[in-house]
Amino acid sequence: MPLEATMIIIDNSEYMRNGDYPPSRLEAQADAVNTVFQTKVDSNPENTVGIMTMAGKGPEVLVTHTRDLGQILKALHTVATEKIGGAINIPTAIAIAQLALKHRENKNLRQRIVVFVGSPPTDAPGSDAASLVKLAKKLKKNNVAVDIVSFGDGIEEEEEVSMEVGAEAHSASPLRKFVDNASSGDNSHLLVVQPGSTLLSDALITSPVLAADRAAGIPEELQGGGGDAGPSQGGAANDFEFGVDPSLDPELAMALRLSMQEANAREAVANPSAAGLSADQPPASSAAAPSTNAGQAAAAGAVGAGAGVAAGAAVANIDGDDEDDALLQQALALSHEEDGEDVEMDGSDEEGDEEGDEDEEDDDEDAAIARAIQMSMEEQQQEDKKGK
Amino acid sequence: MADEKSILDLIDTTQLSCLNENSSHTVKDILGRKTVNSAAGSYLLSDADEQLLLTITFNQSVRIRKLAIRSSEDPSKAPKSIKLLINRPSIGFEDTTDAVQELELTEDQVKEGKSVALRYVRFQSVNTLHIFIENNHGDEDETRIDAVDIIGTPFETTKDLSGLRQEED
Repeated sequence: MPLEATMIIIDNSEYMRNGDYPPSRLEAQADAVNTVFQTKVDSNPENTVGIMTMAGKGPEVLVTHTRDLGQILKALHTVATEKIGGAINIPTAIAIAQLALKHRENKNLRQRIVVFVGSPPTDAPGSDAASLVKLAKKLKKNNVAVDIVSFGDGIEEEEEVSMEVGAEAHSASPLRKFVDNASSGDNSHLLVVQPGSTLLSDALITSPVLAADRAAGIPEELQGGGGDAGPSQGGAANDFEFGVDPSLDPELAMALRLSMQEANAREAVANPSAAGLSADQPPASSAAAPSTNAGQAAAAGAVGAGAGVAAGAAVANIDGDDEDDALLQQALALSHEEDGEDVEMDGSDEEGDEEGDEDEEDDDEDAAIARAIQMSMEEQQQEDKKGK
Repeated sequence: MADEKSILDLIDTTQLSCLNENSSHTVKDILGRKTVNSAAGSYLLSDADEQLLLTITFNQSVRIRKLAIRSSEDPSKAPKSIKLLINRPSIGFEDTTDAVQELELTEDQVKEGKSVALRYVRFQSVNTLHIFIENNHGDEDETRIDAVDIIGTPFETTKDLSGLRQEED
């Protein structure tokens, strides 16, 4: 679970008036900031987020570390009404963001900067590729992660080339080089959002930028096999039965898995014999089951017999594809066995035993207390004697 | 001296950190076990450039008398100029100008891991020790440290309560 202080740098240059990202670049960016804020704050109760602009008269911090959505919205509103203008200055903005992060209250938070770039590269001092790489190294040295979201005019032309050749291409765009150099242990990402039907915030939420935060609230067993593979990897979709890539939307994947499990459970409860039959269909059912399971099945008696066979089949079936199903049926079979045993055995006998145990414990405790009192009395008496 | 011993066992490993460390050779590799590191495969390596900034927090106040840093593998990667700072809640590479003490380690000292006497009076109540390694002997891009040892005494007034456990019934 990432424990992070995040500084969001937004682009408020004149380029943001463009309407190619509906309704306008600036508003799309505001939605995206909102998304990032909510995701970061929800992923850990200690996380904080700040926001600053990087164009206008100069980079300006609007909100320092906060968990208050109102302050973020207010800042975004101020930007929309008053602060559009000028050209971006990425290096200065990042330097200021780093300072702001440095003065976070909780020093245990890791530092992260998220930069939204919707303007073309400028010739501000320090904006050339070499200086950016230098700045990236400095950030890496100070343990600051950087995510860059480039859209609109922020998309660089070399992008497609570098995407094809892969991350190791050295002809990559300055922004990609920047992120590659700042990344330590794959903690920094560059996200390119093309204009079109997808919303900026939608693209963000399924991106690696927020993947770690979104996966944080989901229990390990529901995350699926593709959890530790890189997000947005096509291969992971093959392991997942519902036809979507679980790493793209972990919450949806969790919901799907949960409802599948519930449906299975309902089905099994409503129609246990049918479940047993369906599990019996593979040829190697109870014969292939380990002898212990066969023994169990035999011991289960008349009531549990069918379910016991199902259990055996389930064990044999575990290597197959519907592992969850098999486990569930095994559990059901076991519960049936217990029912059967309860009927056969004298129920009161068992209860009596338990009560007896409890009584013994009580007796033990009473005896121990009595001993303790006795010992303390003795000590007191001895002391009294000494006193005399 | 009366009570000279390694105080590595007083390190609070949860707060142990290092800036510019290589993610596969971290400071926890050499100090996480609270003993002087002797395993050959574990060492601390710098990442983006040759500088390192170790932050070592103790679980009580200590007085520090000596410091030993060993880097025996490659003499050119051994740390040379060192600045020591104490008790800074947050520290970055730009905060290292006003050091409590500055040291130049010789190649012999780092090769053998010989301890260097510090100005004892300045290290009387240390909760956190920051070791800033500015450069190395061979002007390499990587600095490597195999082991660190800190020699001193716990501060008299505080007691180590971390060893206390609830008594078993």
